[in-house]
Amino acid sequence: MSTIPRVSSAIPGEPAHFGSVLAHQPAIAESFFALYGRFWGSDVLAARIKEVARMRNARVTECGFCRNVRFDKAVAQGLGEEVVDDITDGYETSDKLTDTEKAVLKFTDALIHDPELLNCDAKTALQRHLTPAQIAELGLGVTLFLALAKALITMGLEPEVMDRTVLPTPAVLEAAE
Amino acid sequence: MSAVCAALAADPVLAAHYADFRDKTEAALDPALAALIRQAVAAVHGMDVAPDESGLDDGTRTVLAYARRMPFEHTAISDAEAAAVVAHLDEAGFVAFSVLAALADAECRAALVDLPGLAGA
Repeated sequence: MSTIPRVSSAIPGEPAHFGSVLAHQPAIAESFFALYGRFWGSDVLAARIKEVARMRNARVTECGFCRNVRFDKAVAQGLGEEVVDDITDGYETSDKLTDTEKAVLKFTDALIHDPELLNCDAKTALQRHLTPAQIAELGLGVTLFLALAKALITMGLEPEVMDRTVLPTPAVLEAAE
Repeated sequence: MSAVCAALAADPVLAAHYADFRDKTEAALDPALAALIRQAVAAVHGMDVAPDESGLDDGTRTVLAYARRMPFEHTAISDAEAAAVVAHLDEAGFVAFSVLAALADAECRAALVDLPGLAGA
């Protein structure tokens, strides 16, 4: 895994990072940020749940950038580091994660790692805890988290070192509406 | 229709945003190449046959070989492999390709867990 960018920044004066590299494709960038803002802005599924899935994806795909970023909306909803620490192998026995979050984590593992993990019990648990609309939104989120993590890693945009960083939750840009 | 688009049927606004992102990503590449990339990734997941590479130029074969690494070997891709794709597609093309290949992989996985069925679509 490379921490040397494999593509340059398209924004003069800025180092290569996800935004500056994606700027090579402005139409893709604009569409992605509109989608991502809409996704995080929707309250069909709580930001805390989305962030639990995002953190699991970050750990499984080995995305160091994703792993060190926290979105403030999820933090405000109680996703502290003592909970995040349990989003690791063996999360099933955590006493800090809720049953809903454990069902979400099992679905996340199935999508990003092995579909066989979503057995009958796991499927029943997911559908007991989430509505169909919430599952659709979760599925979109995990799809995006996985794709972006892999794109970021393969473009060599992994940071060599990075402190934990709380960022504003992506939002819909007024100009985009 | 992708599994993600199908699952989002009850949320037309989010579905439209997702479809737009998908379309913009594909539109940044030659349509035939985009289709080959999707097919190569789907074949790794056992969801399609591998593309017929007879008649393809070396650059396209290099791109497809790289795409096949995305589902299970993304952390093992080397700088040299990436440089070969950049040489064929240029930097902007490499960015679009990286997003498309990763998205194609994730969409296959969403289909394999039957996301639309789970979401009642």
